[in-house]
Amino acid sequence: MNIIEVTKLNFGYSKSPVLDDLSFEVERGSFLAIAGPNGAGKSTLLNLLCAALKPKSGTIRIDGSSIKSYNTKALAEKVAVVRQEFVPVFGFSVFDTVMMARTTYFGQMGFESRTDRKIVNEALEATDTAQFSSRLLGNLSGGERQRVFIARALAQNTAILLLDEPTSFLDLKHQVGIYDLLKAAQLEKAKTVVAVTHDINLAAQYADVVLLLADRGDYLQGPARDVFSTKHIEKVFGIRTFTANVGREKFFLPLGKFAKDKQIIPPQNPNSEHPK
Amino acid sequence: MNKSLTAKKLIVTIVLALALLVVVMFLCSLIGTESISLKKVFSSKALQGSVNPDYEIFVRVRLPRIILAAIVGAALACAGVVFQAILRNPLADPYILGISSGAGLGAIIAVLSGLNWVFWGWSPIAVFAFTGAMGTIWLVWFIGRLTGKSHITGLLLAGVVVNAFFSAVIMFLTSVAKSEQVHSTIFWLMGNMAEEDFFVLWLSAGSVVAGILTLFYISPQLNAISFGRDDARNMGVNVTAIQTIAFAAAAFITAVAVSLSGLIGFVGLIVPHGVRLVFGPDHRQMLPLSGIVGAIFLVAADTLARIIVAPAQLPVGVVTAIVGGPFFLVLLIKYTHKVGWLSK
Amino acid sequence: MNKWWWLLLIILGWSCAGFAIFATRQDQSTHITAPDNINRIVSTAPSLTEILFSLGLGDKIIGVTLQCNYPPAAAKKPKLGTFWQPNIEAVIAARPDLVVTLGFDQQRNIAHRLKRIGYKCLTVNIEKVGDFFNAVEKIATATGSRQQADELVSSIRKKLDNLSASAGTGDKVRVLYVVQREPLRVAGRDTFVNEMIELAGGENAIAPTVHKYPPIGSEQVYACNAEVIIEAAMGQKQTAQQQEDALRYWSRFKNTPAVINKRIYVIDGDTVSRLGPRLYEGTETIARCLRPELFKNKK
Repeated sequence: MNIIEVTKLNFGYSKSPVLDDLSFEVERGSFLAIAGPNGAGKSTLLNLLCAALKPKSGTIRIDGSSIKSYNTKALAEKVAVVRQEFVPVFGFSVFDTVMMARTTYFGQMGFESRTDRKIVNEALEATDTAQFSSRLLGNLSGGERQRVFIARALAQNTAILLLDEPTSFLDLKHQVGIYDLLKAAQLEKAKTVVAVTHDINLAAQYADVVLLLADRGDYLQGPARDVFSTKHIEKVFGIRTFTANVGREKFFLPLGKFAKDKQIIPPQNPNSEHPK
Repeated sequence: MNKSLTAKKLIVTIVLALALLVVVMFLCSLIGTESISLKKVFSSKALQGSVNPDYEIFVRVRLPRIILAAIVGAALACAGVVFQAILRNPLADPYILGISSGAGLGAIIAVLSGLNWVFWGWSPIAVFAFTGAMGTIWLVWFIGRLTGKSHITGLLLAGVVVNAFFSAVIMFLTSVAKSEQVHSTIFWLMGNMAEEDFFVLWLSAGSVVAGILTLFYISPQLNAISFGRDDARNMGVNVTAIQTIAFAAAAFITAVAVSLSGLIGFVGLIVPHGVRLVFGPDHRQMLPLSGIVGAIFLVAADTLARIIVAPAQLPVGVVTAIVGGPFFLVLLIKYTHKVGWLSK
Repeated sequence: MNKWWWLLLIILGWSCAGFAIFATRQDQSTHITAPDNINRIVSTAPSLTEILFSLGLGDKIIGVTLQCNYPPAAAKKPKLGTFWQPNIEAVIAARPDLVVTLGFDQQRNIAHRLKRIGYKCLTVNIEKVGDFFNAVEKIATATGSRQQADELVSSIRKKLDNLSASAGTGDKVRVLYVVQREPLRVAGRDTFVNEMIELAGGENAIAPTVHKYPPIGSEQVYACNAEVIIEAAMGQKQTAQQQEDALRYWSRFKNTPAVINKRIYVIDGDTVSRLGPRLYEGTETIARCLRPELFKNKK
């Protein structure tokens, strides 16, 4: 059974729809990357999947039940979210921050149990942040903080991890580090990972399935090598790219008017088809 | 501050703080415009019919007043903690959402009405001020909800509007009142302590402690909410319910405090910041400790107010402002250096 | 058990305990003393102090306020706070048999607190001339000095009647009694000042108003056509200096009869505003301003 099923999802902030009749599934234990240009609705979709937003019409099913049937606590047992914006709350230590994921399991007087502590420590180990556990959140670098928030999501012990651009603002080393971390969580802990990303190349390398959202509700879902084709990428993102094969996957390098090696891109075929 | 909080550590800290509070309260009860001796207080207590001013000053004037100061200080400080947490605003104090003008309006109506009865120890001004405060909070909450999902901004704006409107009404009523009534109202609004009935103190203490306990119960959730509503919700916290409870409890204890002692400023603003600086932002610790520190602060401020311009008395609000103002300035400078609250 | 239920239980238990302990207690009245035994009196207002002295109780006064300065002996009494804030600790420490207060909010509040602690308090409202006479009688009854009270009251009444007979007849003089300059406030028709003005043969230049001491604007000053303007002396400056200042201040209202005829007087406000035993002196002072011709020989 698919752990996430989205059927005919419609959503818009005012009159114009952002997501139009979107349907897709996520298999249990798979890694889904959601890509697309700005404004296509990637973050919106993520917020819909964790019930931070309500759809105009259509259904979302999480682990077999409609998302509406979950109360806040029950949904938090299935889905953990790592968001993009970082709210500055500097006084808490790394350990305390990750422990917040266990808030709903605290005892009567509001303190954690030994189990909670064990889970948090495991999450810290998995994200390689145990060394900072008593440092204040504000004294970490961006990459380290991002790992802490992923640790928090891991400590929630859920089957599904939703991440909104987990590697923006990070340098190359940390970008790869995060993706390795997420892949490990998927493979070693059987988690289902859904990550919104701008980086289609890394997504191609790590994701099992890709959902490419285009403007005005168009979308494509499938394995990366099917969805990520030069034709689709250029149409959806509206740029010319240089494509090459890496191994099993392709990689895409967008080249603009003033790029040095612009001439390497073959001339555009005026009969290119629509993605859908 | 870097190690996590455990139940044991918290209990120890609270017990020590409480001990300090008791010591401060005791010492301050020995200070006043009249010098009294403890021996005299306790020796003649048994003799009925013979006048013992030392006993009466100690037991019937000073103690009630100091207990009241502790109750009000604790209530305002804890309310400040909670309002700063819910509104995500380091400049929030318990009066930010219109409570001050609502209570003031209730007070001036009570004064103008000339009512004289005493309801089980509560004066008309106290009852009307309490009703005014609670009514205003409800009104602001209601208006805030009308503005939709983005609750905080809606609440703050509603508070500003209601404050402005009620202040105008207060000014109007003040202008048509007799001069002694005006004097009374202004005096009450400046915040002052007078000894209250022991029954009133008993019930007020109970109410405030109950409110603080309620807030303590939801402290872990308040911690989560400080990371953002959406994040908290996705971690399983019922943000709407928690916010409502926090808001209601904080408003209630503020209304109790204001009804007894008028508008005393800066306690609800400064104490949370001070406690956070020393003990960290974990609400499980910040809440009870702010309550105790708030109590100590106000007891000390009240003692100062009683003796500094003897035989007259300064309104307590003046002392808290004089002490709190510069302290707040220091805090502001410190915070703007740290990239933190004020930067987003 | 759930922590919320515990909380509810604690609240209920605490409230019931509170009711049990305190709600059944009566106010203590351990210090009731018969009028003959009143030997230690505290006054919380200058007018009350003057009344007590006039009743011959000066020796029994053990505490007054900072503002009590008449008669001179009053200034030497121990000060137990101010008119607006009597110091309750000092009052208790003085061990009074009787505390006399006025009836407005703050003082009524102090009286209430003292009563709760068990002291005997007498609260008198003195807002009109009639109230003053009643207050004297009340205080006299409480302190066993009816005889002195009767003498005092009849003496003042007689002097007022005489004054009224001579000054109260004839054309009424339109007068503005100014209590404050910034903003400009005058005594309205519903005040004891007005009563004294009428006894002295005057008529308030201001029509009836909602406020007792209304703030008025320049327009009303022009319109009221006052023949005499009386100001209560304020602040520390000499009366002569204040008289000059007043003349200068009012000179802007060029067409007002009072300004034209230079009938602007600065008087010692206490005899008027205190509404106490110097009621006659205050009324006479006003009469001197309104009908100076009557007093030329008496100078």
